[in-house]
Amino acid sequence: MSSTIATDSHGLSDSWTIGERVCAALMPLIAVVEVLILTVTGCFSYCPCISIIDQNHKCTYTAKDFAILADETRFTVEEVEALHVLFKRLSSSLIDDDSIHKEELQLALFQTPYGKNLFLDRVFDVFDQKRNGVIEFDEFVHALSVFHPYAPMDEKIDFAFKLYDLRQTGFIEPEEVKLMVVAILIEFDMNLPDDLLEAIVHKTIADADKDNDGKISREDWKAFVSRNPSLLINMTLPYLKDITSVLSSFVFKTEAKP
Amino acid sequence: MSSMKVAKGRILVGKYELGKTIGEGSFAKVKFARNVQNGNYVAIKILDRKHVLRLNMMEQLMKEISTMKLINHPNVVRILEVLASKTKIYIVLEFVDGGELFDKIAANGRLKEDEARNYFQQLINAVDYCHSRGVYHRDLKPENLLDSNGVLKVSDFGLSTYSQKEDELLHTACGTPNYVAPEVLNDRGYVGSTSDIWSCGVILFVLMAGYLPFDEPTHMALYKKIGRAEFSCPSWFSPQAKKLLKHILDPNPLTRIKIPELLEDEWFKKGYKPTSFTEEEDLNVDDVVVAFNESNENLVTERKEKPVSMNAFELICRSQSFNLDSLFEKQTGQVKQETSFTSQCPANEIMFKIEEAAKPLGFNVYKRNYKMKLQGDKSGRKGHLSVATEVFEVAPSVHMVELRKTGGDTLEFHKACENSLSLLLIQKYKSHIRKSATQI
Repeated sequence: MSSTIATDSHGLSDSWTIGERVCAALMPLIAVVEVLILTVTGCFSYCPCISIIDQNHKCTYTAKDFAILADETRFTVEEVEALHVLFKRLSSSLIDDDSIHKEELQLALFQTPYGKNLFLDRVFDVFDQKRNGVIEFDEFVHALSVFHPYAPMDEKIDFAFKLYDLRQTGFIEPEEVKLMVVAILIEFDMNLPDDLLEAIVHKTIADADKDNDGKISREDWKAFVSRNPSLLINMTLPYLKDITSVLSSFVFKTEAKP
Repeated sequence: MSSMKVAKGRILVGKYELGKTIGEGSFAKVKFARNVQNGNYVAIKILDRKHVLRLNMMEQLMKEISTMKLINHPNVVRILEVLASKTKIYIVLEFVDGGELFDKIAANGRLKEDEARNYFQQLINAVDYCHSRGVYHRDLKPENLLDSNGVLKVSDFGLSTYSQKEDELLHTACGTPNYVAPEVLNDRGYVGSTSDIWSCGVILFVLMAGYLPFDEPTHMALYKKIGRAEFSCPSWFSPQAKKLLKHILDPNPLTRIKIPELLEDEWFKKGYKPTSFTEEEDLNVDDVVVAFNESNENLVTERKEKPVSMNAFELICRSQSFNLDSLFEKQTGQVKQETSFTSQCPANEIMFKIEEAAKPLGFNVYKRNYKMKLQGDKSGRKGHLSVATEVFEVAPSVHMVELRKTGGDTLEFHKACENSLSLLLIQKYKSHIRKSATQI
């Protein structure tokens, strides 16, 4: 049996191309160069903004990155740092890899990583702008920026529309409204007959559908929300106005960990 | 009392919010109601204008209601106010918190002679007082005797005629003939005072015996027995009680005992305390005159109020699922200060149930339409706990209820929600905490 293995491995090395052999030879050298580059860019140096992160975590964000994110959003650098603390906690809850997986978001929102949830899927998809199946820190900050109390109303309206446009057709259709209502009622342990569901959906579409095409366009939605501003109640997170103090006790506790 | 359910949909007549029907005839019904200005409960007798006009009784009814409105006797259910719409006359009555007197007998059997005498004395007080003012009952029966913690209240004085069915005009009795005097049954016409005394005698017999003096399977046999006053007293009746009953249940209205003689009877006088009360001076009948006036001025309308309608998106945006608050609450140990639940109960019933749960917990309740403020009367960790409540209509039979802490301690708010609402609503509602947290 051992001879077979030897033969196989020998045969394998014989089949390598010149390119592959060069690659194999240079691999350690590339690794050394990479370490040098990372050292020069300061990722291994002491970074106050991420001092609270466990040392075994992979470090990907610098003070400069935080400053850039602060410029792009409504948050200050300190607030971005505080959000990073929250992000680290969420992203390491199941898989410690500096990104929030759907199960981790589900765990954070519903205290369980299991089960299918229509709304969770939508929230996750809208947060995951790069469409790579995880929420990275920059996506997390950009998305939460919309929820800031001082974020422009148009951003909130647009974000809500994206959430409710389940099939991403550019319209909120009656079937989508019905799906959401059913999901809500399940959340409330309620089971309504179909005619009642239809009545709720029909009334809602009729209220919002200005151009009478049987579905809600972006323009319809904007007009509807301006008449009913309470529809954006879930598009504002009051905590974000003072995120540093909201998370301060949490940051302190994390720093105190060995 | 407050446990009485209120009918689906909120109907207001003047300042009164109408609730469930608690009594019904062909042309009149009695509804439980609430004065929205002061929160007091009342009963409203609703008469059909057409019916009263058809019987040519408008003038007589107005006269009797006016007289009754001036009566303020502790043993008579008071008329508080009279309102009218184009089609109905609303007689607002004192609401008696307690059941019918005869529920007591149904539950516990006959009463002891002393207790029966006490109720009978109160009944005679009421009847005598009304008779002295020219108002006769004409239909004294168990349903019209209410017991409010040992105090007898006679309802329907002067109004029973107008509650009767169309084919039961002035000469006949409404409903069961067991309590009706022979002269009324014989359709010879009658004097209201003597026929009321007969009915009081039948009531006294039932209180002491636990069964009716005249009871036959057929109407013919029953009429015959009543006409001849064929009854026998059980052995446990005292001789004086038997003697008095013989005088009251006299088939001849002319020789039947009158109230002044009754008041002098030895058995009746035992432990008798004449009712002492002061008549209110500011009683007036202006509203009665207005209600019976032909003009359209001052007419009330029944208007139906509904909770604020909530469309699907308002329901969705209040959902826990589309809410990112929990990202922060879980991480920072914060406590929510709002809770919501859905219910398929009528909106008024939900309001009553919340009120019912809140009062024993020491909350003062302030209601306006489908909003309610619960104000704690004891000061907690952070002052008085206050909770704002609102009922929304999602669909005709689906409501969402929001409870929001507006003052006091958040943990106390949760405790109150858990203690009262979860216990109260466990069968019908799914309680659901959501939104808006605060640091304790």
